[in-house]
Amino acid sequence: MWWDAGAPTDSFYQVRPECTDVPKTKFRIKAGKTLSARKWQTAFTPEGYLDIARTLSRIRRGGIHPSIRGEVWEFLLGCYDPKSTFDEREQIRQHRREKYALLKEECRQMFPLIGSGRFLTAPVVTEDGEPVQDPVVLKELGLLPEENGASGGSEMVKEPSGHGPQDKKVIQWKLTLHQIGLDVVRTDRTLEFYEKQENLSKLWDVLAVYAWFDADVGYCQGMSDLCSPMIILLQDEADAFWCFEHLMRRLRGNFRCTESSVGVETQLSNLASITEVIDPKLHQHLETLGGGNYLFAFRMLMVLFRREFSFGDSLYLWEMMWALEYDPYLFSVYEDSKSASEKHKGSKGKPKSMRQFGKYERDNRKNGVNSQAHLPISVFLVASVLENRSSKLLTEARGLDDVVKILNDITGNLDARKACRGAMKLHKKYLKKA
Amino acid sequence: MDSPSSQESVGFDYLFKLLLIGDSGVGKSSLLLSFTSDSFQDLSPTIGVDFKVKYADIGGKKLKLAIWDTAGQERFRTLTSSYYRGAQGIIMVYDVTRRETFTNLSDIWAKEIDLYSTNQDCIKMLVGNKVDKESERVVMKKEGINFAREYGCLFIECSAKTRLNVQQCFEELVLKILDTPSLLAEGSKVLKKNIFKQKPPQPDTSSSSCC
Repeated sequence: MWWDAGAPTDSFYQVRPECTDVPKTKFRIKAGKTLSARKWQTAFTPEGYLDIARTLSRIRRGGIHPSIRGEVWEFLLGCYDPKSTFDEREQIRQHRREKYALLKEECRQMFPLIGSGRFLTAPVVTEDGEPVQDPVVLKELGLLPEENGASGGSEMVKEPSGHGPQDKKVIQWKLTLHQIGLDVVRTDRTLEFYEKQENLSKLWDVLAVYAWFDADVGYCQGMSDLCSPMIILLQDEADAFWCFEHLMRRLRGNFRCTESSVGVETQLSNLASITEVIDPKLHQHLETLGGGNYLFAFRMLMVLFRREFSFGDSLYLWEMMWALEYDPYLFSVYEDSKSASEKHKGSKGKPKSMRQFGKYERDNRKNGVNSQAHLPISVFLVASVLENRSSKLLTEARGLDDVVKILNDITGNLDARKACRGAMKLHKKYLKKA
Repeated sequence: MDSPSSQESVGFDYLFKLLLIGDSGVGKSSLLLSFTSDSFQDLSPTIGVDFKVKYADIGGKKLKLAIWDTAGQERFRTLTSSYYRGAQGIIMVYDVTRRETFTNLSDIWAKEIDLYSTNQDCIKMLVGNKVDKESERVVMKKEGINFAREYGCLFIECSAKTRLNVQQCFEELVLKILDTPSLLAEGSKVLKKNIFKQKPPQPDTSSSSCC
């Protein structure tokens, strides 16, 4: 073909025909630009070392072909080290799958519906940990006598009457299951994928196991939006779990809550400082309107623009963000933080060439921004969206409601690539000024 | 073409701020969508706070309704609490098919209003949603009526899905606001401030300080 407008990608994430209101995906697969399955395969040496520099620049130019998204994401998120062999990675994968199976079994013992292919939207325990005697719950758990035992009596709960004080952590987790259930049935429901009960319960299982695994965060609304693509992209449930878990390593701070604050507020105040430097007039205006806390940008940061883009475009946006932020030390940093005694340190050897870093990360390093102080690219993305709407916000927004309305109007109208470019430009400008 | 902006430029007599609260999954966002765009679809959970605007003629007045929609999960409450401020109307929603969403009204939501609402006269409305699922109903209409009587608020049962009583729900609330002089004053005050975008005239501190 002498020209290439690109192939549309919506067919990979089929929308239910009755949902007509869903924004169309702008991302297109472009020959010679998009990271294709073939290009991906040739990026590995025979032993399995990945040419990450070339891969990153491909992704930046044209995204990732939907057919290989899951496996490429595993690298981008630091699940695997590009400087490792196929065999080494296979070992890690098997080890992680076993670990997930153990975690899931632990959860299943606390609540037998985990892993059963079914799930609940009703509360399962009261605030003090007493099992809810709701017929719907009991029926799902196979505890009603008239149940014809389709799922077997082997799933009997051990302590249905729940006497004795249960561990606080267990109660907390069981309380969380209610919210997970309520959200699972409302996540990406426009996609055909979630018409299947088994996919819904997969999402429920992964979120439930995660809530147990990371009890500090547990489950917070928004996490189902982040987890859902993993369930769709990675066939194996355990792989999906670990990919999600790696994404959460970047984002869990946003979801950690105290009595008086939600974690993401830290990023919102970073957003405020950036806007103050880049566009002082806009910042002043927002402050006058009572929006100095930037709460109107809460959702964009919590679910990484999932609601502002179509499903397909948000995946494209995410992979570009991660490619730009890529740090080749990610894997070893993650592994070392897990247990200092583990053996993966060998990969640290000689310093990595700059080409192996994502462009955003490179800019940070060149400017001597230390990794502690450095901000995620998502904050600059929001800042650039605001800056783009600056004149509209300055002239038309007379109250916070107008701000939210103007920002809501961007839904379906943003271009992921342009948004990233805008964020990069702003980041550069910010590094210079700050 | 009748774009929303042309509608806006027509102007309005009052601007009221309304707030939707209640447990997760009771249908707050669906109720709002049903009211603002006469449609019903599967909606994703609300993250934090969302907002929609609706222009309406009620009680012979042209109104702009700024309606804030909040996430139901407990941990967002620190965040949503700031949106109670200055609301002239608060809509408490529960799901008639889920008992706990009703009991949480007195356990949680009514207390939230007492804590955070800055407006003494603010009109409250109790809404039992999802009456289209009549066979699954567990909260009786009588219970809603009793709660509303005890708590001194308006009450209606509706279905965001079939749109039954949705318009009535907002209309009744707004009519009551229009009936309350202090709220009416607020509705036009905000308006003036917004339109002229001026600082209010300096309070007469200078004149009082001289005596």
